[in-house]
Amino acid sequence: MKTKILILFLFCAFIVNTQTQKKVHPNLNGITCKTCHSCDIPTKENPCVIPCPREKMVSIDQSPEEGPSVLTIDKFKKQTDIYSPVIFSHRLHAEMSGMSGGCKMCHHYNPPGQVIGCSDCHELMRKRTDVSKPDLKGAYHRQCMECHRTWSGKIDCESCHTLNGTSQNIKAQTLTEKSSKRVHPKIIAPTTLKFDTPSASGKMVTFYHSQHVDLFGLECQSCHTNESCAKCHTKDKTALLKIKTTEQKHAVCSTCHNTKQNCNTCHSNSVQEGFNHATKTGFDITKFHGKVSCKTCHTEKRKFTGLNSECINCHGKWTQENFQHKVTGVILDETHLTLECKDCHQEKNYSKPICTNCHEDKSFPKNVPGKLIKKNG
Amino acid sequence: MVNQSRRDFLKTAALVGTAVTGLSSKTKAAPKNILSEDRMGVLVDTTVCIGCRKCEWSCKIAHDLESPSIEVYDDRSVFKTMRRPDSKALTVVNEYKNLDEEKFPINVKVQCMHCDHPACVSACIVGALSKQENGSVIWDTDKCIGCRYCMVACPFQVPAFEFENALKPDIKKCDFCFERTKEGKLPACTEICPVEAITYGRREDLVKAAHQKIKNYPDRYINRVFGEYEVGGTSWIYLANTEFEKLNFPKLGKDPAPGVSEAIQHGIFAYFVPPVALYALLGGVMWINKNKKKSENEEI
Repeated sequence: MKTKILILFLFCAFIVNTQTQKKVHPNLNGITCKTCHSCDIPTKENPCVIPCPREKMVSIDQSPEEGPSVLTIDKFKKQTDIYSPVIFSHRLHAEMSGMSGGCKMCHHYNPPGQVIGCSDCHELMRKRTDVSKPDLKGAYHRQCMECHRTWSGKIDCESCHTLNGTSQNIKAQTLTEKSSKRVHPKIIAPTTLKFDTPSASGKMVTFYHSQHVDLFGLECQSCHTNESCAKCHTKDKTALLKIKTTEQKHAVCSTCHNTKQNCNTCHSNSVQEGFNHATKTGFDITKFHGKVSCKTCHTEKRKFTGLNSECINCHGKWTQENFQHKVTGVILDETHLTLECKDCHQEKNYSKPICTNCHEDKSFPKNVPGKLIKKNG
Repeated sequence: MVNQSRRDFLKTAALVGTAVTGLSSKTKAAPKNILSEDRMGVLVDTTVCIGCRKCEWSCKIAHDLESPSIEVYDDRSVFKTMRRPDSKALTVVNEYKNLDEEKFPINVKVQCMHCDHPACVSACIVGALSKQENGSVIWDTDKCIGCRYCMVACPFQVPAFEFENALKPDIKKCDFCFERTKEGKLPACTEICPVEAITYGRREDLVKAAHQKIKNYPDRYINRVFGEYEVGGTSWIYLANTEFEKLNFPKLGKDPAPGVSEAIQHGIFAYFVPPVALYALLGGVMWINKNKKKSENEEI
């Protein structure tokens, strides 16, 4: 009896555990508890998170709206009375970080679930035994100044801190309100960019920015990894236009494209057409495959050749039972519904049907074997 | 006959002399023996320092040195010239051009390195300088005779002399905030640093942390911790993204600066026994020779 109760109890505990895990970490993909926790059953009181730096930690990106809009940093209230707490516009900064590493730009690791704040790892007291990472004050200042001094060039305290006992201090409430309203304007992405290059194999590179985003599904950060704020926010633009080496110029592209060979993929002497699956491969994806992402069919990484256009390759064998004909835009009438596919479609890509097998005088699309409807994708 | 006895004398004298030197150098507690495993140090990460010079200010305040108000230290024009610590400023920050990222110049804090085997302690003939168990090298005003040997001996040229003070000049150098740390406080500079570019901790832990940083960010640092082995190791150790020699760090070997000279020097003067022994020996030899001459004369 006792063992039965124990088993029941353990079972309940297991259920509760798995459920809380889902609640705390809603989007864990293929990682185990041990990736981040050192003990078997982490609790809120003792999360036993593996000490920093967590090299294998999984990082995710969240939208700026998910985080707090304004934070008041008053952790040092007891240590210093020179400055009043810093009012930090978290959302504004989260929006700005989008082009330069996302959340993990400041939260070095942003694992799924509860967000790890600075003070979860960085100790409040400077006098400490673990010197492997900076204390909280150091960590804050390093993060802030890394960006702030790139564009302002200044390291003065007053750009973030307000002195206690001054008139500025009274405005804390209004400052919080003001900060919560501040948003970073949406970055307008270009559609097409044309670059003039000194290359012999083609002086012009036409870059379809919109295609890389919409068609190939790249995130901003896939290419814009280390954009500094100063790239936009600077008075002295000439400093940014540093002469880059050929290698540096190709670096962004070469994560996906082989820039050592096939120069003509990008370089030509005139404006190039954008990517078109039909003209490039002979397989028109706009009809039925427009919303399918590249990697659904091109499963092997960075390999986009070797697929043939026969439907059977991906879809298996279609029969009149398993195929919903209405997706093609034609609902078959009762007589045609019972026919085998190959009675009308003799080509392997099931394109144009032949009517002459039964009807000598009929042809598609002049005659329709049923009802035409609006295609859905 | 006389010639031969002279050669004999030189031989014996040299032999006895070295024997005494060797013996006494063993009996004297060399600084090596008092190095504590828990001695403290500071890791200076020059890639983090922003050159705010708050450390310069807090150092002066902590050591009762004359200082302008803290706002004055915001003036970055001082970086135009290279400065050295002197009797009025025990630590200074210099600025160097960063070839990787022009916007972020390299700032390097300079002060006493608090060597594990300090040449100044070795050179001081009156024992006014001493290496403490917590790692700091400090100076005792009551013992100092103002010979300035320490200034010559220091491989980093740190100790400064109050030339302007004619009556009672002091040697001035960073004392690793010996009085503050004794009370459990942090050294003044490490306490104020806003970015914690200077981390105070056990030297052993800091060396480990420094190597971990190099491993984690190989693009950020060159693979060298200055002070880990230089002149036998220093309490203050440095990380940088450029060769240290380009940041005005002296080119030094791994051997402690005092080295062999210290063993001989200390041996010769230890408790004044060797000089006395040598004189006694010489006297003895003379006395024997005198007796010999007498007997020789008698024989003739």
